[in-house]
Amino acid sequence: MILLQATVSGLLLGAVYALFSCGLTLIWGMMNFINFAHGEFVMLGMYAALLATWAGLGPAFFAPGAAIALFALGAIVYLGVIKQVMRGPMLAQILSSFGLALLLRYTAFFVFKSDFRTLPESELSGTLHLFGLYIARAQLLAGAAAALLAFAMHMLLTRSALGSRMLAVAEDRQAAMLMGIRPDRMQTLAWGLSAASAGVAGALMAIAYPFSPAVGETFALTAFVVVTLGGFGSVPGAMIAGFVIGLVEALAAYLIGPVYKDVVVYAIFVAVLWVRPQGLLGASAR
Amino acid sequence: MSEVLLEAQGVSRAFLGFVALEDANLTVNAGEIVGLIGPNGAGKSTFFNCVAGDLAPSRGRIRFDGVDVTRLSPEQHARLGIGRTFQVPAAFEDMTLLENVMVGSFLRERQARVARDHAHEMLRLAGLERLAGQRARTLGTPGRKRLEIARVLATGPRLILLDEALAGLTPIEIQQAIELVRTIHAMNVTLIIVEHIMEVIRTLAHRVLVFNHGRTIAQGTPQAVMEDPTVVEAYLGHRRQRRRGRSAT
Amino acid sequence: MSGRWGATGLWLALLLFPLAASFSGSALFLQDIGATVLLTAIGACAWNVVGGYAGQVSVGHAIFFGTGAYASLAVYTLWQLPPVAGLPLAVGLAMLIAALIGLPTFRLQGHYFSMATLAVAELIRLLVSNWDMLGAAIGIQGPATPRGWWDIVYRSPVPYYYIDLAVLAALLAATRRMTRSRFGFYLRAIRSGERAARSLGVPVRRIKLLALMFSAGFAAVAGALYALKVGFVNPESGLGILVSVQMIITAALGGAGSLYGPLVGAIILVPLQSVSNTWFGGSGSGLTYILYGGIIMLLARYEPGGLAEWWHRRLAPRLKRTPAESEHVRSAA
Repeated sequence: MILLQATVSGLLLGAVYALFSCGLTLIWGMMNFINFAHGEFVMLGMYAALLATWAGLGPAFFAPGAAIALFALGAIVYLGVIKQVMRGPMLAQILSSFGLALLLRYTAFFVFKSDFRTLPESELSGTLHLFGLYIARAQLLAGAAAALLAFAMHMLLTRSALGSRMLAVAEDRQAAMLMGIRPDRMQTLAWGLSAASAGVAGALMAIAYPFSPAVGETFALTAFVVVTLGGFGSVPGAMIAGFVIGLVEALAAYLIGPVYKDVVVYAIFVAVLWVRPQGLLGASAR
Repeated sequence: MSEVLLEAQGVSRAFLGFVALEDANLTVNAGEIVGLIGPNGAGKSTFFNCVAGDLAPSRGRIRFDGVDVTRLSPEQHARLGIGRTFQVPAAFEDMTLLENVMVGSFLRERQARVARDHAHEMLRLAGLERLAGQRARTLGTPGRKRLEIARVLATGPRLILLDEALAGLTPIEIQQAIELVRTIHAMNVTLIIVEHIMEVIRTLAHRVLVFNHGRTIAQGTPQAVMEDPTVVEAYLGHRRQRRRGRSAT
Repeated sequence: MSGRWGATGLWLALLLFPLAASFSGSALFLQDIGATVLLTAIGACAWNVVGGYAGQVSVGHAIFFGTGAYASLAVYTLWQLPPVAGLPLAVGLAMLIAALIGLPTFRLQGHYFSMATLAVAELIRLLVSNWDMLGAAIGIQGPATPRGWWDIVYRSPVPYYYIDLAVLAALLAATRRMTRSRFGFYLRAIRSGERAARSLGVPVRRIKLLALMFSAGFAAVAGALYALKVGFVNPESGLGILVSVQMIITAALGGAGSLYGPLVGAIILVPLQSVSNTWFGGSGSGLTYILYGGIIMLLARYEPGGLAEWWHRRLAPRLKRTPAESEHVRSAA
């Protein structure tokens, strides 16, 4: 029974992982850029929710508020730094987002201190008793919302005109330009979307789980594992992999111990690199 | 007499269902200059990259000097004596011209001192000796193309693959480039060149292979090929298609 | 050549620094900072080989530093051997881990390597944090009092200073020799353009691996020297991300891919950090790392080549694009 419990909570958390990893793999596929600050975007989404409660706003505002704030941040980061750095050496590219991660993380430590917090009680608190399992209402909501949003993002990218323009840039920048698409604008939007989805994932998590500025580092690594397992640039891959990693984490925590759950995930990461670097749905990693 | 240096048989390459190249065959004898021509997207770049070792063919075989090089890496190609240049010149920007060429020389010479002398010689051949101490990023496009040639020459290849090495040059620069190619050819280097500029093909190539829609449609002397009705149709047809496409938008 | 004199002057100054400092009121403090500068420089120089010269950005070099620190103190706590005896183990282990990381990732695009270094660093940190034999979260200590000269335990920072100076000199000499060799040229070619390097016969994967192993080995030495001096290591101080950050920013500020860059970076950053920590309080919640994040971003955005590049540009203003015609004139002549 507890195994089933672990499975369910793993999948619920996995849905959130899927949501924030989609954004990372989108940027990776479009620009061949790994955003080392992606985990901090998630973390900032959590604190956006916190700030919303300080402003007296209810849970309905958390996700939209985080989405707007992080979209703006993502777009600004792209326009101010990333766009220019893309023309430079690899070192500059990696250091730019790595430096940003440090900046955001330690600013959050400075402002919010390192204690773990939870959001105040609301109508979302409490436990549900479903099919013999105890599920925190907030976790269920967070997971369900995340799954829906991840799916919506996939739909946006594959079915809408905007989405296909973005994917065209990812596919072949030159060809896209010839078709009248402006890669710069698409990339700005992609960064905004990526950051927004990370922020929303964070806001959703804040409802259900305790958080501190330190979690950004962990989420960045989780996202790396998910996008590698999912495959280079593959949003559907990231979605599936998100659930897989969430599940693996929960099962590892249950079977081996909560202390080692991250160890198992990182070990899987290394194993994937050795055995099948293109991941589940990726074309080729070379 | 001529020995067979390169033999490509039935080379095909598909990308996720899209057939970029189908059953390409080419035999190159030592000392020849072979041109690869065809409209854009015709498959000549794909073929070129298969021979260079950048792409593995989906089907087919490539033999160089008797060795099966079909699945070998670019590094192994270079070591066996196949060199190539890039369509968009890929100089080592922050290194000086001399250092750029030395990277090539180091393939055959282990010692830095010897490699340096050798690199100077290669730069001299390419007419770049006076710029040896400058960083590669200071060069304009013609200089970079020349640098690439000097650099690949330094690896001591028997076959050099030139990828549109003369594109974007002024007429004077083109003449100089043709001279350089002739100089290299006189050093016993076999050449396969991809070119769009018909003048260059006519002047330099002994033989030409024409690509269209992923297949080879003609092979022969530049003269013969350019009078071949199939070739003319391929180019004209392509132009007709483009015109049609333009008016439709 | 001014370069030659500058370098000689620098080494002379480094050699005499502890002596000069002994005349000041806060001699011990200054000498300690000096030793820390050299220690930081060694770590940064080690990172520089793979991150600067080869262009393979490791963001988890703490792995190797921590291996060095833990291995040397572990042979003491477990088997009562002098910490120095742990050095071969430290270097060997670091090189092995380097191979395990490099072998799968160096055949893939660059980001995989960087992600892997971050993940493995965290993985090892978590493992060690829960491994009682290595002190778990508390850490392990070296000998408090020396049983003999071989324990290398001193009250004064000065002996450490000179040991570190010797190691730094050796590392820089080895690095310099490497840059002038075929291996060094190949490294820089890989950094500048892997695809082109490959087409010239450069065995890219092998070279990257060797560079990483060399870098890992010396980072382990840096870790061991740190453990000798401080006498103590825990998962945070040995394997934490800030260890990696320190190496990166030190090398990048001075000039990643230049010989003396990391040393210059250390000379600037370590005293600054000491000042900053005093003003703003300890590491975790202090402003120091906010500043570091900002500096790294600014470097990446405006001057990825660091101070070395800026200096080079100042000295050689003629490095503008050569107009096409003068090139023709020269080659036609």
